[in-house]
Amino acid sequence: MSANVSMRDALYEAPGPKTQRLVRIGTAISVVLLVAFVAFVLRQFYVNDQLNPKYWSFFLRWTTWRFLLRGFLGTIKVAITAGIIAMALGLLLMLGRISPNRALSAICHVVTDLFRSLPSLLLIYFFFLVIPKYGLRMPAFWMITVPVALAASGVLAEVFRAGVNAVPKGQVEAAMALGMTHGKITRKIVLPQALKIVIPSLVSQLVVVVKDTTVAYVVSYPDLMQNARVLISNYDALVSMYFVVALLYIAVNYATNQFSIYLAHRSDTPVISRVDENPV
Amino acid sequence: MPIQTAEPIIQMRHVDKHYGQLHVLQDINLEVQKGEVVVLIGPSGSGKSTLCRTINRLETIDSGEILFEGKPLPQEGKELAALRAEIGMVFQSFNLFAHKTILDNVTMGPVEVLHRNRKEAEAEAMELLARVGVEAQAHKVPAQLSGGQQQRVAIARSLAMHPKAMLFDEPTSALDPEMINEVLDVMVELAQEGMTMVVVTHEMNFARRVSNRVVFMADGQIVEQNTPDEFFDHPQSARAKDFLDSIKGH
Amino acid sequence: MGVAEVFTTFGDVYLKSVLSTWLMTAVCFAGGLALGILATVLRVSPIKPLRVAGDVYVQLFRNIPTVSLLVIFVYALPYLGATLSYRTCLLCCVILVVSSFASENFMSGINAIGVGQIEAARAIGLSFVQIIRLIVIPQSLRTTVLPMTNLLIATLLTTAMGSQVPLTPPELTGMVNYVNSRSVAGISAFVVSAICYAGTSVVLGFLGNKLDEKVRILR
Repeated sequence: MSANVSMRDALYEAPGPKTQRLVRIGTAISVVLLVAFVAFVLRQFYVNDQLNPKYWSFFLRWTTWRFLLRGFLGTIKVAITAGIIAMALGLLLMLGRISPNRALSAICHVVTDLFRSLPSLLLIYFFFLVIPKYGLRMPAFWMITVPVALAASGVLAEVFRAGVNAVPKGQVEAAMALGMTHGKITRKIVLPQALKIVIPSLVSQLVVVVKDTTVAYVVSYPDLMQNARVLISNYDALVSMYFVVALLYIAVNYATNQFSIYLAHRSDTPVISRVDENPV
Repeated sequence: MPIQTAEPIIQMRHVDKHYGQLHVLQDINLEVQKGEVVVLIGPSGSGKSTLCRTINRLETIDSGEILFEGKPLPQEGKELAALRAEIGMVFQSFNLFAHKTILDNVTMGPVEVLHRNRKEAEAEAMELLARVGVEAQAHKVPAQLSGGQQQRVAIARSLAMHPKAMLFDEPTSALDPEMINEVLDVMVELAQEGMTMVVVTHEMNFARRVSNRVVFMADGQIVEQNTPDEFFDHPQSARAKDFLDSIKGH
Repeated sequence: MGVAEVFTTFGDVYLKSVLSTWLMTAVCFAGGLALGILATVLRVSPIKPLRVAGDVYVQLFRNIPTVSLLVIFVYALPYLGATLSYRTCLLCCVILVVSSFASENFMSGINAIGVGQIEAARAIGLSFVQIIRLIVIPQSLRTTVLPMTNLLIATLLTTAMGSQVPLTPPELTGMVNYVNSRSVAGISAFVVSAICYAGTSVVLGFLGNKLDEKVRILR
């Protein structure tokens, strides 16, 4: 019976009458405090004239949303492309790392760790500021997509490796007993199982990629954030726009995370390496 | 046999409990005398574990009352903690504190709850560990011990509190077969020394050899209770007969 | 211009930049841990509204992109009657984001303890406060060393957001822009900053692993 009680509830046992009274009082006080906090925030909006309809009414217009949506499609385009590149590159890095070739393995290890330990912004500056000085100008789309993909590939290589490690040892031993080569074992036995295990983690890493794309304005790529900035200058409505955009990002990332948890739950695999998430 | 005239150490009167729709304990009436060994048996889901866990209020009840030494169980706070300190409990999954050494597991109660001097508590803990045969492991952590060893440590941890009664919630169900006896041996010894014990178990040999009384439960009710010989040789109810038939050959 | 020239020309700015990056990382991580503990206390409290508030707090700040939060602090808050310095804005944003992840780490540390140990502690008569002090806090701290090390490295990387606001001295990522706009040494500046980030991450990762080996709880 106790097995399906969450730890959250297990810390407190069923309250006796005194505890129940304390909890009731605490609940009342905390509701008052929370309401007061919300009221304070609303008051700050109100006294600074930020609740004025002129700052919010344009959200009722379809053109506003069409423009934001176009920006969001830009975000999605970058995120998906970067995600695919990062997956391919991460997979290659991982395969190199687990290969029997010592030199290749060492190189892939170093590259993986390097990409994991650099901020995506630094990589963006590399493609935006440094490379053009040598005469190579890439379109804005690739100036944001490539660095975001590189930063993610290091993490994904680790996610894939965790997936490979999660494949039971007996599977490899059985394949070896059949006389299969390292390459064949990896391709036919290990990878298919590992990929299945890491799917939820790949989805949750998409959140990191979406977050990384938000600095696309640095390279003037029209993503959600960049289009929001355009609208801000058009409507002179900074506060409302930045809050709405923040909520949009939160909603998308929350949904992605929930989807990843759902996938993990359905396939009964834990979301591995959530701890590797880079919250930039 | 214990003296039946004294006041029972544990009394349950008209105890009821629900989990949502499920009526897990139905009008339970049970008395346990001092020094008595009572074994609870029954099919899984019969409520025997829940019953055992209500005695130190790890599970609350909806209605009825439970008395320990004639006094109703406290509902919370210091009083409840003090009562629990007087009742030992051994769990199916051992539940040793993973971050503490074996010795620290045994001394935690005496030092933190009974405010005993650490040196004395450690000396006594070593005696208890020797008694259950794991003194050589005193400075290891639980994960380094076998299941049987961990369960014996869990018994020592309870004994260190000098309990007036002990609850065993399926103490051997999570053990590999070769380790069951090392735990049962310790329990037999405790019973022979006169410890009051309530034991939820599937070990019928233990029930037959050691207990004073067998309580058979099914669907949240006490169906029948009797001396072990009477119960095993002449079960009264159809449910008990079916149950005993189903476990024959085990 | 090579790496050596970058050092002779920009050496002292670079030194200040590295130190400032490290200091901001330390402040943000400490602040994030403190707020993360507070959020976790709310989330495991028996008081429902506080639990919900803690959950909402964590979901908001673990899902918001740091830039999105930063523009709110830098550009929107002044319209709402709070003007903070650029550095304060940056520190607040990183702390809020880090605290949400810290709380998630603490929650999984608490979940790893398991209901059984709590019941066992209760059964030997330990009070609620004793259970928290003797079982829950030590175990959850010791199981979260590795995730927290990863979070510390992530904090270091997140301070790169400082390049989006004017800071003196610029932090390591802003330095690339700083050097690039004053000379042709962009690539060298990039290499130096990259080495600083990677070097710091390697050292932090190494220390985290050592600490974890020491305190890890066998299960």
